[in-house]
Amino acid sequence: MTDMAVESAHMAQADIPLDRAKALSAFKLGDVSFYWLTRISAICVLLILGGIIVSLIIGAWPAIREFGFSFLFTQRWAPSAQPTPVLGALGPIYGTLITSFIAMLIAVPVGLGIAIFLTELCPMSLRRPIAMAIELLAGIPSIIYGMWGFFVLGPFLANSVEPAIIAFFAPIPILNTIFAGPASNLSLFNASLILAIMILPFITAISRDVFATVPPVLKESAYGMGCTTWEVARNVMIPYTRVGLIGGVMLALGRALGETMAVTFIIGNSFRIEPSIFAPGTTISAAIASEFAEADGVHQSGLILLGLLLFVLTFFVLTCARLLLMRIERKAGA
Amino acid sequence: MSGTDSVTLSEGAGSMVNHPVKLAVKNLDFFYGQTRALKGINLSLYKNIVTAFIGPSGCGKSTLLRVLNRMYDLYPAQRATGEVLLDGQNVLDPKLDLNLLRARVGMVFQKPTPFPMTIYDNIAFGIKLYEKLPKSEMDGRVEQALKGAALWNEVKDKLNASGLSLSGGQQQRLCIARTVAIKPEVILFDEPCSALDPISTAKVEELIDELKSQYTIAIVTHNMQQAARVSQFTAFMYLGDLVEFDETNKIFTKPSKKQTQEYITGRFG
Repeated sequence: MTDMAVESAHMAQADIPLDRAKALSAFKLGDVSFYWLTRISAICVLLILGGIIVSLIIGAWPAIREFGFSFLFTQRWAPSAQPTPVLGALGPIYGTLITSFIAMLIAVPVGLGIAIFLTELCPMSLRRPIAMAIELLAGIPSIIYGMWGFFVLGPFLANSVEPAIIAFFAPIPILNTIFAGPASNLSLFNASLILAIMILPFITAISRDVFATVPPVLKESAYGMGCTTWEVARNVMIPYTRVGLIGGVMLALGRALGETMAVTFIIGNSFRIEPSIFAPGTTISAAIASEFAEADGVHQSGLILLGLLLFVLTFFVLTCARLLLMRIERKAGA
Repeated sequence: MSGTDSVTLSEGAGSMVNHPVKLAVKNLDFFYGQTRALKGINLSLYKNIVTAFIGPSGCGKSTLLRVLNRMYDLYPAQRATGEVLLDGQNVLDPKLDLNLLRARVGMVFQKPTPFPMTIYDNIAFGIKLYEKLPKSEMDGRVEQALKGAALWNEVKDKLNASGLSLSGGQQQRLCIARTVAIKPEVILFDEPCSALDPISTAKVEELIDELKSQYTIAIVTHNMQQAARVSQFTAFMYLGDLVEFDETNKIFTKPSKKQTQEYITGRFG
């Protein structure tokens, strides 16, 4: 109280309006500089993005001029062919899409299942340990996944799991070409499985967070009608949180499309397209990583073009996902 | 009052109607962890009668309601001891099928909670849990439920719109329709009108009055006029105790306990 009295007496002596204007102008300088600081930061993002696209296009230009659209539809990848190299991206594009697709097929249901277990069914004492283990899974560097896939998971799958699957599907037409032998340490399937493990933490962590936003009373009213946990999850929690869930799935898909190191280890780096998922293949990023060191001339330019394609592919997939989301929104009328 | 098997009330024109006990609560204690929230509650809900629970915030009336359909079971560290007999069967029996119990004892919450789906599906969803019906029969059941909740005329042209697109009062009646659609025996209302405007409140109250001809109803309310308007029996609770339980007329005209008198005249609470 005394402080205030002293201060007001002091203010009464000074020219009050001027004092106030001075204080305000000091704030104004701070405001303006803050505005520009944030604005420049935001513009930087656009500049960096534009710069990357431009330099990719410049780097890829010789390959674009050489191969044109046939680059997209050629399966042959022969950088040392005579008289001119033949480069086609069909194999890597196919590998990228198929491994990401299988990885999502495995990781989305498993991730959602873990998240539902953690939010609805898990005893309190287990929640934190499991959640922490999942976050740790996200923190493991991808090279470690690659080594583990190469030395442990690959041989295990090839010796124990794949022969059984191949034998099971052998009498069924169509499916027996998709699951055709021989079993191999290095294959699209192994890479997909590693990818699934790698993106699982993203899907789990995000779906757990969005499930936590479902109002308890909404769940209670569903339980109050006699729903089982499964019915509550399927009919109330997942529809209520679908926007967030799809966002999480998209983030995971983005990661799966671009993941390099682990996949390079275990996919086999073969540019040939085989109908079987147990055959080796390659992805765009794996192809770039494994060949970039010894490439020059048109070969190098072709690899840069592959990079540009991955950029476009990721952008395209994410845009499609966003459009899909908008359509679901409109249909739900929410 | 709670010891009897039935109660006889005069209803219009001097005719006396006998109401058997539907749900009997005996020596019920309830704990949130170490805190004892309900202390030795004894009371009965009678068939085709609306029983109101009044009392200041935190007195345990919502807690009591949540025991009746075992809603508290969703949360660890909450437990109840004593007996709650629904037609003579103990609801607190751990071996009881909870989903079946909740189909028999429906609940409507304080805030409207339409599910994130169409109006039609909001109703059909609950029915599908228990019955497999052909489309035409399902349409009939949905219409019947919406008519039962006095909502049909307002929504019949937009059954495929989202349940969330309705107004608050309509949403609450949708929730009532949803509860009624699965044909429960007891309906629990937990302050169903506290988020509604006066007109919607009047509609919901009217609806509760109509529903009592088919169901046994319990309603928690902060609004004493509402308790007086819709209920035939009233329970006054304070700090986890059931202070007084009697016919609504008596509670509001000549209560036997001083505390009840003070609460209904607005001296505390």
